[in-house]
Amino acid sequence: MAKVEKRRAPSEDTLREFLREMLLIRRFEEKVEERFRAGELPGFLHVAIGQEAVAVGVCGAMEDGDVFASTHRAHGHTLARGTHPNAVMAELYGKLEGCSHGYGGSMHLYDVERGNIGANAVVGGGLPAVVGAGLAFKLRDEPRVAVAFFGDGATNTGTFHESLNLAQLWQTKTLFVCENNEWAESTPGWQHSPVWNDMSKRAKAYDMPSVKVDGQDVEQVYETTKEALARIRAGEGPIFLDVETFRMHGHYIGDPQVYRSKEDRSEAAEQDPIVRLREKLQVSDEEWQALDDEVHEIVEASVEFAKNGTDPQPEDALKNVYA
Amino acid sequence: MPELSYREAVRDALASAMRADKDVFLMGEDIAEMGGSMGVTQGLYEEFGVERVRNTPISEMAIVGAGIGAAMQGMRPVVEIMYEDFLTLSLEQIVNQAAKHRFMSGGQLKVPLTIRTQGGAGWSPGAQHAQQLEAWLVHIPGLKVVFASSPADARGLLWSSIYDDNPVIFFEHRLLYPIKEEVPEQLEPIPLGKARVVREGTDVTVIATGPLVHRSLAAADKAAEEGISVEVVDPRTLQPLDEQGLVDSVKKTNRAVVAHEAVTRMGFGAEVTAVLQEQAFDWLDAPIERVGAKFAPLAFSPSMEQFVVPQPDDVLAAVRRTVGRGK
Amino acid sequence: MASEVKLPRLGQGMEAGTIVKWLKAEGDRVEKGEPLYELDTDKVTQEVEAEASGVLLKIAVASGEVPVGQTVAVIGAEGETVTLAEQAAPAAAAPEPAPDATPEPAPEPAPASAPAAADGERIKASPLARRMARERGVELASLRGTGPDGRIVAEDVERAEAGAPSRPPAPAAPATLPGEVESVPLSGVRKTIARRLTEAWQVPVFQLTVSADMTRANELVERVRQLDPDVRITVTDLLTKVCAQALRRHPDVNVQFAADALVRFPNANVGIAVAAPHGLVVPVLRNVEQLSLADVARARADAVGRARENKLTLEDLDGGTFTISNLGMFGVEQFVAVLNPPQAAILAVGATEERAVVRDGEVVARPMLTATLTVDHRAVDGGPAADFLRTVKAYLEEPGLAL
Repeated sequence: MAKVEKRRAPSEDTLREFLREMLLIRRFEEKVEERFRAGELPGFLHVAIGQEAVAVGVCGAMEDGDVFASTHRAHGHTLARGTHPNAVMAELYGKLEGCSHGYGGSMHLYDVERGNIGANAVVGGGLPAVVGAGLAFKLRDEPRVAVAFFGDGATNTGTFHESLNLAQLWQTKTLFVCENNEWAESTPGWQHSPVWNDMSKRAKAYDMPSVKVDGQDVEQVYETTKEALARIRAGEGPIFLDVETFRMHGHYIGDPQVYRSKEDRSEAAEQDPIVRLREKLQVSDEEWQALDDEVHEIVEASVEFAKNGTDPQPEDALKNVYA
Repeated sequence: MPELSYREAVRDALASAMRADKDVFLMGEDIAEMGGSMGVTQGLYEEFGVERVRNTPISEMAIVGAGIGAAMQGMRPVVEIMYEDFLTLSLEQIVNQAAKHRFMSGGQLKVPLTIRTQGGAGWSPGAQHAQQLEAWLVHIPGLKVVFASSPADARGLLWSSIYDDNPVIFFEHRLLYPIKEEVPEQLEPIPLGKARVVREGTDVTVIATGPLVHRSLAAADKAAEEGISVEVVDPRTLQPLDEQGLVDSVKKTNRAVVAHEAVTRMGFGAEVTAVLQEQAFDWLDAPIERVGAKFAPLAFSPSMEQFVVPQPDDVLAAVRRTVGRGK
Repeated sequence: MASEVKLPRLGQGMEAGTIVKWLKAEGDRVEKGEPLYELDTDKVTQEVEAEASGVLLKIAVASGEVPVGQTVAVIGAEGETVTLAEQAAPAAAAPEPAPDATPEPAPEPAPASAPAAADGERIKASPLARRMARERGVELASLRGTGPDGRIVAEDVERAEAGAPSRPPAPAAPATLPGEVESVPLSGVRKTIARRLTEAWQVPVFQLTVSADMTRANELVERVRQLDPDVRITVTDLLTKVCAQALRRHPDVNVQFAADALVRFPNANVGIAVAAPHGLVVPVLRNVEQLSLADVARARADAVGRARENKLTLEDLDGGTFTISNLGMFGVEQFVAVLNPPQAAILAVGATEERAVVRDGEVVARPMLTATLTVDHRAVDGGPAADFLRTVKAYLEEPGLAL
């Protein structure tokens, strides 16, 4: 991945890079859906289709040394931060070559070298640790930031509230990224939160500054994140990003979304961040095709890599329990 | 040799670690100026300051979680949970997160977090301030659990817990805090996973934890008058358990009693009993007895509390039954 | 070069034997052919000889039941080292009343099975006590427990052991007061007798009784003794010869009932029931129809002598087609014998005594012998059996007819 320039507004080259990355995530996720339906992937899988811009924009803005924790919907963040598609796909297939060596699966992708301190299957479960990391950076006076990804559903959990409270109280170096796709599995925002259409109110309750972001505009996401990270790094305290985004598919692969109206689904489709960026950059059909082919090849290769990977020995199940 | 109370011994371990290592810091409710609800951290705030002795809001999940996060970044936080009963509020972070990060990441991370807490009956604390929950924690792969019964053990084991690279739950007990004992001049780290023979004997082994170690010693004195020689062994670390040490003792005496203050049924003692019967079956001359609290929440009224909580006479009665002289 | 002494197969169908006692100790010099140990099989206790000369380097099995083929000792040169492969340890000696002949595998830390007492009740003993009892050969059933609920505890085993006599093959004497009930464990021979006679008891039988005037028989015996003083002919010998001839004449009685056939034998192999020290044994005299009376006497004397010294071999006991059981020496007038399976007939002979009988209308005194024939009705019907018995009586009353 090209090193992101420090200038806030991304150059066109950078944007093209973002386009490529978003498309890579998109095709990767589509391939994952396909392989899951073919019966090749064990476990539960949640694809980030529709939310690629948030992943690419936020992760693109992070610097070396920053850490982040993701949710059950973690493929996008993991790929966007630089973990190779081979390592992610291999993990989904449960192979030793996977980024968690087969121990985690889709909902527990880790890549500590790239700052990925773990995707969490417990909604809101990863937030306190991000606060702790931000505390450690502050105590040691390191110019590093800890980033927490979570959805609108998580804003109702005890861990969310305790984490925001403590982070703001102790002014930890933490960035809270709320991906508000207005669905908590099958429960729409209005049904689970009194402040569902203005998540900044959640932050306000803790006197934490918040910024509203159009999550389908990767450029805006990137710029806003870059600025927020700079402020946090400078010691100005945690910031809450209220990101509006759209989940284009179901909660999990195979979710028939009986709870969701056709209009809602088509509205989401109209907000495709990749289409938007492509249009903005005026990418020609040939260029697009070439890009898509390139990305397809990478994705196909990752499936090959994964399928040829090494299955862990059954006895490996007893390793890594203790350090 | 200097004499320290259990409370002072814990404090000494914390202070020593914090002096030796900038990465050790404390978080907990009321641990700063007040010095903790049990007075354990008194003086530490004055010595180490507000950044390293951090009063927290009443947010057990966030406190423990923040400890997890800092530990993953290489620090060695010690979190105090005021009452063992409140561990329940942070169990999600302990069980789903701390115990599993190393495993789920395939070995990429470690969580060198220490959680200190105190519990147990005494002075009518009522049902929500008196529980002994070690059985829940020893059941979770990925966690280590320690329960020292004496000042020297507490000091040496707390130091080792802080420097263990795994999440350790360090149990204390309110009735143990004032107990005094001579301790080595220098802090001597005690490795986790080793039991201690507190009193030697030949007729029956009493395996006891926490306050029951002391009550078993009292029972042993009485038993000696009846001609029964009791050996008292304190596992000290509950997970990992020194199975060999316990089994060796029972193979020597041929009889065993397991005693803890926690509720007997489905308790830690049941696991020890299973281990003993598996590994020392042909050495057993009597069924293994268990002593613990009766199966009820802890009542408030002192007479009721006294009835439910195991006393020295309960240990003595169990000892007598194993040698065939009691009902 | 050390050689392993393996338990020999001494007869058809032998699968195991119980080593009762070693006649040599470790370190002793042994010559080929010398008796090495005593072995108790289903039928007989006998000495087993060494098949090699040398020093008895190691006794691998001191006592107890051992399967045929298992190594029980090693003979070799002085000072040679011995390594034996792991093999199943024998079940404990005599004190273990195992019902069948197959040996038990080496006892694991699992508890010794509670001796299956006749009343089926489980013996309460601590695991430690069980292990100690197992290791020291103390029978749990003989102990009284002093633990809670009458449980046998280690102390009880220790106390019992201190008072028990040394083995083998001592029955486990309970450390009890005089006048109390003693439980004597079963020897191999007694177990075998019990089993076989239980089988026999299930056969449908009938009994026929006849009394014979032994005047002529007695005279004959007397004459033959005078003729051959070295060979002490007895009435039993005459009976044996007479029965053999009768069987030749009535081959329908010289049969055995098998699952789907009747087995008919050409020869009369007559077994003679002998009360040996270890219990009843029935040595068989072969082809008696071909033997002279003197031959019969010699064979009988040899067999009975060896029976009394426990020196019978399996060959001595195999192959009988008919049995005679004589309790006349005890003064028994008449009795019914139990079949000796798988034979179809057995003759129970009582004492010859002077009785008042009627001859030609007059009451006279005659030496009379009463014999009862027990017959397997599946193999032989009443008529042929009665016919046979009539012949036996006739031969006894006029021995010359048997020639």
